[in-house]
Amino acid sequence: MITLIRNEIYKTLLKKKIILITILLILFVGLFSYGENYIYNQRINAFLEESNQGDYSWENIANQRLERLKKNLESSYIPERGIKSIKIQIEQLEYFIDNNINPVTPSVARFNVEFVKQSVTLFLPLLIIILGADLISGEFSDKTIKVLLTRAVPRWKILMSKLIALLIMTTLIILLMALISTTVSRLFIDRLGFDEPVATGFQFVNGELSTGSVIRITSLKYTLLNYSLAWFVALVMSAITFMISTLVKSVGSAIGIIMASLIGGQFLQFFLSDWVMVKYFYVTNLDLTKYLTGSYQQVEGMSLVFSVLVLSAWAIASILISFFVFLRKDILV
Amino acid sequence: MTHKILSVKDVTKIINQKKIIKDISLEISQGEIYGFLGPNGAGKSTTLRMIVGLTRPTSGDITISGYSITKDYVKAMANVGCIIEEPTLYEYMSGLKNLEILGSMSNNVSKKDIIEAVELVGMTHRMNDQVKTYSMGMKQRIGLAQALIHQPKLLILDEPTNGLDPQGIYKFRQIIKSLVKDKGISVLLSSHLISEIQLMCDKVAIINKGKIIKKARVEDLLLSNRISWVLDLPKKGKTILKEQFNIESSIIENKLFANIEEHLIEAVNSVFINEGLKIKYVSTKKKTLEDLFLELTAYKAID
Repeated sequence: MITLIRNEIYKTLLKKKIILITILLILFVGLFSYGENYIYNQRINAFLEESNQGDYSWENIANQRLERLKKNLESSYIPERGIKSIKIQIEQLEYFIDNNINPVTPSVARFNVEFVKQSVTLFLPLLIIILGADLISGEFSDKTIKVLLTRAVPRWKILMSKLIALLIMTTLIILLMALISTTVSRLFIDRLGFDEPVATGFQFVNGELSTGSVIRITSLKYTLLNYSLAWFVALVMSAITFMISTLVKSVGSAIGIIMASLIGGQFLQFFLSDWVMVKYFYVTNLDLTKYLTGSYQQVEGMSLVFSVLVLSAWAIASILISFFVFLRKDILV
Repeated sequence: MTHKILSVKDVTKIINQKKIIKDISLEISQGEIYGFLGPNGAGKSTTLRMIVGLTRPTSGDITISGYSITKDYVKAMANVGCIIEEPTLYEYMSGLKNLEILGSMSNNVSKKDIIEAVELVGMTHRMNDQVKTYSMGMKQRIGLAQALIHQPKLLILDEPTNGLDPQGIYKFRQIIKSLVKDKGISVLLSSHLISEIQLMCDKVAIINKGKIIKKARVEDLLLSNRISWVLDLPKKGKTILKEQFNIESSIIENKLFANIEEHLIEAVNSVFINEGLKIKYVSTKKKTLEDLFLELTAYKAID
């Protein structure tokens, strides 16, 4: 079994996918961290112009932003949804200022968190698709499935070794992501900030933000927390990719189907957020990290536990379907 | 009873409610080269795929070296090596790495076995190059090495010479023949070319529309010549052949066909003339697959 898993990992490595993924990560992290620093500098400049103060400590900048948000709230052009969202932002910002938590100055730690948040719904799934879409469908389109399945190894072992290899590689991708976003963003952002405090655990009670359950942890813990959620999401994505790769016979259609479900899922979330079924779709639940910050929810009735359960169900069902289909399949390529 | 390496018993395969394979049975003994002859789409590949476990028989059983393919899959498969249609390898790896990866999936395949297999197929000089740089013939040879590294007792080759040049075909045959001679393995090979079966096989099963319509020793099939007469009254000729020589014949497009040995032709001709038939011409020719099929379907012969 270990030999089989090693073979599978070796095949993936030979296809130079890890190199492609590394390049993509470096590119995105580089652009993103450069951009974040650029925006921060602009914000300081804007602050200096407006206030005529020489002091641009984070408290001052945060206070300025707070005032701007409150002004926005008074405007009559903002729809109700937008008002809710702004209210939540105001309350959080007030909590940060009261509790001496810096939400303004960029740091490597915060960049990590921000990058995970931004990538967890689309970029990270995309990396998993690069990694796994051809895992089985590729063997079909290259017809190598014929040599793979005519050795003296039962089919379930072949499939199991592929699944385990994919999960190992997925874990590797998360580690790679952490490594690259820490080192590359350090080039543009001066502060590390892993020991700074962060607040998490905001909850919504009757549509209002509640700070009662908020806990303060260090940035390092918070970053790790975000990465573990991303890891979980990545594992679920691999299971789904794995199933699609088992069901179709060409790499192209495998990639197409998963991408379509991802993008279609995002649309569903925006346009049909009132429809109850939407919250059971896997794409709607991918963004686990939003539960840590307490930003406005598109679909009601969802929580961290709910999403984790839904995603787990999707992953388990995907794996079961994969095995069920693969063990019975007639290989006619 | 001699030890059977492969035994296929009453195997039927239904795909999409269509009976693709109808009650096929065949047996191969040790050291035999068995040909599987039939036109494209007759069910050759489907049958071979069932033997190597790529598809499942709907009913019936297949045993390899005494192990059932459905009940003892791993033990049965340990005794088979195969190339199904064109040889498929991982294009992005070297030939040698392909063999190492596939070898690692069987028990007890040593580095030495792999090197020996590569030497046997004559690919030592190119084994470290990527497969995508290989010619069709080279891929075929690595494909053959792949089928041999675990020392199987039965080699299954599906249209093995498709896409090879004459030289490649010749070399390929030499390798297969020497394998049978030196190691005593059995070979089941499918082809739509009768010349190939004739050159390589001891026995042949002819398959058409998912049914085996004839099983015979190749020598027996090719011993008799195929004679055709153009007569003024072919039906009368047919009766004469039946009554006086006890030879079955058939009439296709007003020609009378029969399989008889050469020394009989003169005797048949003189009887025809005595009976008042007019012979326009007589021709003999070696059998072709086409003739064989026309003949078999005309006779509706089932062995």
